[in-house]
Order: sequence, then C-alpha cells, then structure tokens
Amino acid sequence: FTASLLLGTTLTISSNHWIVAWAGLEINTLAILPMISKSHHPRAIEAATKYFLTQATASALLLFSSMINAWQTGQWDITQLTNPTSCLILTSAIAMKLGLVPFHFWFPEVLQGTPLTTGLLLSTLMKFPPITLLYMTSPSLNPTVLTSMAILSTALGGWMGLNQTQIRKILAFSSISHLGWMTIIISYNPKLTLLNFYLYALMTTATFLTLHSTKASKLSTLMTTWTKAPTLNAALLLTLLSLAGLPPLTGFLPKWLIIQELTKQDMA
Amino acid sequence: MDLSLVLNTFTLLTLTTLSTPIIFPLLSDSLKNTPSTITNTVKASFLISLIPMTIHIHSGSESLITLWEWKFIMTFKIPISLKLDFYSLTFLPIALFVSWSILQFATWYMASDPHATKFFTYLLLFLIAMLTLIVANNLFVLFIGWEGVGVMSFLLISWWHGRAEANTAALQAILYNRVGDVGLILCLAWLAYTTNTWEIQQLNSPHQTPTLPLLGLILAATGKSAQFGLHPWLPAAMEGPTPVSALLHSSTMVVAGIFLLIRTHPLLSSNQTAMTTCLCLGALSTLFAATCALTQNDIKKIIAFSTSSQLGLMMVTIGLNLPQLAFLHISTHAFFKAMLFLCSGSIIHNLNGEQDIRKMGGLQKMLPTTTSCLTIGNLALMGTPFLAGFYSKDQIIECLNTSYLNSWALILTLLATSFTAVYTIRMTVLVQTGFTRIPPLTPMNENNPAITSPITRLALGSIMAGLLITSYITPTKTPPMTMPLSIKITALVITILGIIIALELSKLTQTLILTKQTPLYNFSTSLGYFNLLTHRLTTKTLLTGGQNIASHLVDLSWYKLLGPEGLANLQLTTTKTITTLHSGLIKAYLSSFALSLLIILMSAH
Repeated sequence: FTASLLLGTTLTISSNHWIVAWAGLEINTLAILPMISKSHHPRAIEAATKYFLTQATASALLLFSSMINAWQTGQWDITQLTNPTSCLILTSAIAMKLGLVPFHFWFPEVLQGTPLTTGLLLSTLMKFPPITLLYMTSPSLNPTVLTSMAILSTALGGWMGLNQTQIRKILAFSSISHLGWMTIIISYNPKLTLLNFYLYALMTTATFLTLHSTKASKLSTLMTTWTKAPTLNAALLLTLLSLAGLPPLTGFLPKWLIIQELTKQDMA
Repeated sequence: MDLSLVLNTFTLLTLTTLSTPIIFPLLSDSLKNTPSTITNTVKASFLISLIPMTIHIHSGSESLITLWEWKFIMTFKIPISLKLDFYSLTFLPIALFVSWSILQFATWYMASDPHATKFFTYLLLFLIAMLTLIVANNLFVLFIGWEGVGVMSFLLISWWHGRAEANTAALQAILYNRVGDVGLILCLAWLAYTTNTWEIQQLNSPHQTPTLPLLGLILAATGKSAQFGLHPWLPAAMEGPTPVSALLHSSTMVVAGIFLLIRTHPLLSSNQTAMTTCLCLGALSTLFAATCALTQNDIKKIIAFSTSSQLGLMMVTIGLNLPQLAFLHISTHAFFKAMLFLCSGSIIHNLNGEQDIRKMGGLQKMLPTTTSCLTIGNLALMGTPFLAGFYSKDQIIECLNTSYLNSWALILTLLATSFTAVYTIRMTVLVQTGFTRIPPLTPMNENNPAITSPITRLALGSIMAGLLITSYITPTKTPPMTMPLSIKITALVITILGIIIALELSKLTQTLILTKQTPLYNFSTSLGYFNLLTHRLTTKTLLTGGQNIASHLVDLSWYKLLGPEGLANLQLTTTKTITTLHSGLIKAYLSSFALSLLIILMSAH
C-alpha cells in the first residue's frame, strides 16, 4: 500500500497533463482507504467513508475544472489554466482535498478515526500533491478567494483546536491552520508556500511519531508520558512550541517570512 | 550701646529661655519639670521679651537674624532666619503674657491631673511652635511652626483621650487643618517655582500675582483660622481642657492663619479677586458664627463661636487691605478672649464640671472677681468705647463703612456685630444674674491666687492694651478721620440695639410661653446644618469612590475582565459556538461544500 501511495504522489507531482494528475490523486485516495480502515473499528470505517466521499467529490471537481478549461482553451496543460470558472472550481477542489475552510469538516473526524502513523501519512504525504498542483497553477488563481479561505482557516483552526481533548483532532486543526498560512502567500510568493509546507511536514512528523511511540491519543494520556519517556516528553514540548510558531524555534521562520511578504504586498 | 545688638540678643534669649524646660530634663535626672517651673520660665521669657519690644518702639529698629542655611539644593536658598519687625516684636510679649497667665491658671485647673507636667510640657511645646511661626522670616520656617501648632493642637484637644468626643474633635481639628495646609503648600510650590525664594521680604511682586497661589493662602487661612467652609473643628475643639481652649483656640493658634495673610500681604494687595474673596469669606464667617452662637447653651461653645466670629472680622480687615489693623485686632482680642476662657474655666471648675449656662445663674454674688472680669471681657468683646476691643473693632467698622467696597459684606458684618452683643449679653445674664439654678451643695471659692491673679492681670490688659498699642505705633495707612456722624457711631448704635434686644429676649424666660422649634432656631442650633451635611457625605463619597477605583476598576475590570480573563472568555464563546457546528453528519458537510462552491462561483461573476 505504501508503494501505491508513493506511485500516486510521484505521478501527480511530475505530471503535465490534467488527466495524469487526476489519476495520481485517485490512486492516492484508493491506496490510503484500506490503511485507514485497517482496524475494523466502526469509527475507522466511518472515517474511511467520510474520507472517500470528500476526496471523490474533490477529484470529480478537479476533472470538471480541467474539462471546462480544455473545452474553452483546447489544451490540457496544468500550467496553462486560464478559464476563470475552472480556476475557481479548481481552487475549491484543492481546498476540499487539503482541508481548507469551508471544506474542512471531514478532516478532524477522519484523522480521529485513523491510527497515528496513517494519520501522519494523511497529514503530510496526502497534502503534497494538491499543494504541488496549487503551486503550478498559482499565477492564474483568484487571490481574493484564496485569501479569504486562508484567513478563515487560520482563525477556525485556532478556535476549534481550543476545545478539543483528543490529540488527533487537535493536530487536525493545527494542520488546517498551517494550510491557511500556506495558502495565503501562494499568489505572491509560492516558494514560501513550499517552505512552509516542508517545515510543517517536518514538525508534524516529529509530533506524530512521538505520540505514536508513547501511544498517547488523548490529553489525559499525554499527561502521564513524562514517567515513561522523560526526554521524549521534553522534545515533544519543543516540537509543539515550534508548531505554534514561537520565535527562536524553526516554526517561526515561515510565519515571519509570510508576514513580511504580505506587508510588502500591502496586505498585512 | 548698640541697640540692634541688644535687640537681637534679647530676642534670642527669650526663645532660648522657653526651650530650657524642654532640654534640661534630658540632660540630668535631677532637673525635672514641674508645672510651676514651666510657669516661671514663661514669666521670665515674657519679661525678657519686653526689652526688644521697647527698643523697637523707641527707635523703630527691626532686624533679621539668619541662623543656618539648609544646603539642600544649591540654587534655592532655605535659610533658617528670624524676622524681628513690628509684628513679631509686638506679638511676642503679648503671646508670652497671655501664656504666662494661662499657665498660672492651669496650675490650679489641672492640679488634680496625674499627668499635669506632661500637660504643661505640651503647652510649652505649642508655645515654641507658635513663636517659631511668628518670628519666621521665610515661609519654610513658618510652615514648620504651622505644622507644629497643628500637631500640638491635636495632642492637647485629645488630652482626656478616654472620651470619644475628644478624640473625634481632635481628628476633626487635624483633618480640617490639613485641608488648609494643601493651600499653603500650593503657595509654597508656586513661590519656589516662579520667584525662587521663600523669604518674606522678597515677596513684593511688581505686578499682579496670579490668583491661584493667593487662593492657596486663603485656603490655608480658612483651615487654620476656621473661616466658613473649614470651621467645624473650632467648636468641637472645646473638648480640650480650658487652658488649651484659652491658649490655642482664642489667642494664638487660630490667629496663625490671619498672621500668614498679614505676612504675605504684599502679594495679596495687588489682586482684586483675592481681596474680595477675603472680604466676603470673612463677612460670611463672622455672621455664620454669630448666628450659631445665639442658641448655644454651653458656655465654652459660646466663647468658641465668638472667637470664630472675631476671626471672620479679622479676615474682613485683611480684605480691606488693612493688615496693621488686623494685627491690632489680633493683639487686643488675645487679651479679652483668653480672659473670657479663664473665667469660664473658673466657673466650670467651681460648679464641678457644669458647662451648661441654663444651669448657672446668680454667680455674681458667689464669684465676684471672676464675674466682674467676665463682664469686662464681654464689654471689651462688644467694642465698648475705650476698652481694648474698641480701638480695633470700631476702627474696622469705620473703615468698612467709609470704603467703596462690597456693601453685602458690610451688611453682614454689621449684623454680626449686633449678634455679638446679643449672645454676649445673653451669656452674661444667664450666668451672672437672676436666680441661681445650680445644685445646692456646690462649694465654690476664689481664694486661690492662682485663679484671681491671671484673670485680673488679663483684665488689666483688656482695658489698657488697646490704648497702649495704638499710642505707640505709627499706622502705615492713614485711618479715615472724617465721616458723617451716623457712620461714626454705627458700631455703637448697632451694639446698643443688640443689647436691648437681648435684654428683651431674656425676659422671655419669665413669661412662661413654650418655645416652639422654628426653622431659624433649628438652623442656629444645629450649626447651620453644615456638620450634618458634610461630615458624612464627603467621607462616604470619597471612600466609596476610592473603593470603586481601586478594587472595582483596577482589580476586577482591568486585570480580570478586560485583560487575561476577558480574552480567554472571548475565545471560549467562539470555540463553543464553532464546536457545535461540527456535528459529524456527512450529509451536512457535503451540503455545506456544495453551498460554498456555489457562493464562490457566484461571487466571482
């Protein structure tokens, strides 16, 4: 299953034609579904179902947008997406795939239903192809829509994360927030988006793996990890703070650069 | 012989003699004070102080003694210097004379008190503070004396500190004085800021001084001299023993405020607003106090209100730009007011603590010396021609009549003068004449010379002082010499009118008609409702305001509601609302997706 995942991702990243990109995304979806529902727990099955439904819708919308563009402009090149309607539909499709507001409702529940390692894959690897697509089509996308979605994501991710006790849901909302940060800068300086994504992937991987090794899935479980693995607990502290974006840690870097870029563009 | 050297030496000797009873007990255990040693010290100081006064009268020499300079800030000089001019040199012997008499009286009055020596030491400390105030050359030393008399007043009023009213009265005195001190400090600050000196002889401002520091000075005088607005402490201060009332609250401390205004008179004289304020404030005070005195039944309170009324009169004189006349009134008033207090003290002690004049009567036969001196004092107070009060009071009213100033102030002052006559006669009649209303078994006698000699001495002073002082000083402003006959005898006519009314009113007690409580009577008895209205209201508002600001505003709101907790609460409400939106139903999610898509598509076209 991991191999199919890698195949799908590579296919989408290196594609030039919309159909190939779509095919890669579909392979990814199909490959991860059994990984989500491995434990046959009702919650896992429910998570798998939700995931499938949303991702299928998103892929359909993606195809739809590329077809409109092909009908209008006569070509299937990813970087030449010029039709405004198809741009909008593409934006919403990718938002659905990523988990940006207002298309984010599936994400916490899906992440909650998956085991931690699969959740890690969901958060990092599965985000990669859509971000690539966004990166490739970024010049022609509507900035207003992107900015509004991004701001809403950041805010909503923060607020929702406050009221959670399940760690996986908290991580889901943190992922939504970070996606917001990534999306807001994409029309002005896409390189920063990629930087943000890489650093985010790094930090989240660290967090997920730590949580996996201490088998903590709730906040109350997290409280007692200091007895089992004290150094790991301390490391987790630093990682979480980095995720939050505290200055001397790495997580601050993308935030700082994004804000600087936005100020230059007269938006902050 | 160098007269100025003699002047300086003897003045310093006076002051040093006064300090010996303070210092000697500290040096050796065998040099303890007793009441009589302190009395003798003050007597010696008085005799010594006569010499500088005589020198001044003879040659008109004044001097300035600088003792030490407080090098606190290099550019601002604060020397400790004494100014010996007409005012200080004349007031020194008068104050010492009155104090000597009072201390001698107190040896009899406080004989049964276990801490009599401490009492005398307090009185002596007060006297030293007062004299510091008088001879001060700069406002800094004056302020030292000012605070000193305030503190000693507090200690002396609450002498019988087991009595709750005495403690309240002492607190009242301190608080009202403090409010006045704010004004003095304001003026000090302004002077230091603009003229860079606190010396009195450098106070002449060439042009008009701004009103604010002058209002500060007037506020200080209002607090110290119990003008209307900061006056309730003076009647309440009668809780202290009679020698305290005699020394502090009749002759010396309460004139400190007026003395301050006399000293800073060059500043005041150019500002018309300040002068008018003095005039009207003084007129209001004198009438108010006289009205309150009409229905008092406590002999000491009647005399206290009469002091307050005379202080108002002194303020009116300052308002007329006649500082020397005000000083004259201070000096003459000291004599007869102290004597009145001592007589009342003798009466109270003889009647075993009875202070209500409705329970006295017919004392003329039983205490002849005391009552004759009481009569002399009352006549002097009313301004009977050629007694001490006449020279100052009559001249004040003449000047008031012939000036072109406020006629409202004039009417009030004249009314107050007639009231003075009314309550004085009432007191005299009820205390001395008529049938006696005292309990039968009261052994009273005046055999002790400690009572009679101070009182008779002061009576002599009451009669002669006015004549002596006016004969030997040259007035700085020419008094009005010519005026119509009716103006000239106004004060006299008004006083006689008051006497007639009082005698008529005193016959009311024999007509057996029930007295009703009219509003005017209530106004007078409850001291003009001032105490009732202000004492509770102001303190309560201030304290609740303070509580509001400190705990409600700062602690509760800023630190909790608007600060950390407020922010947290804000986030909490948002979080809760949004969490309920995430219901978990896939149909709702998908429909929201469709809706959002539609909105995006719609908005872009």
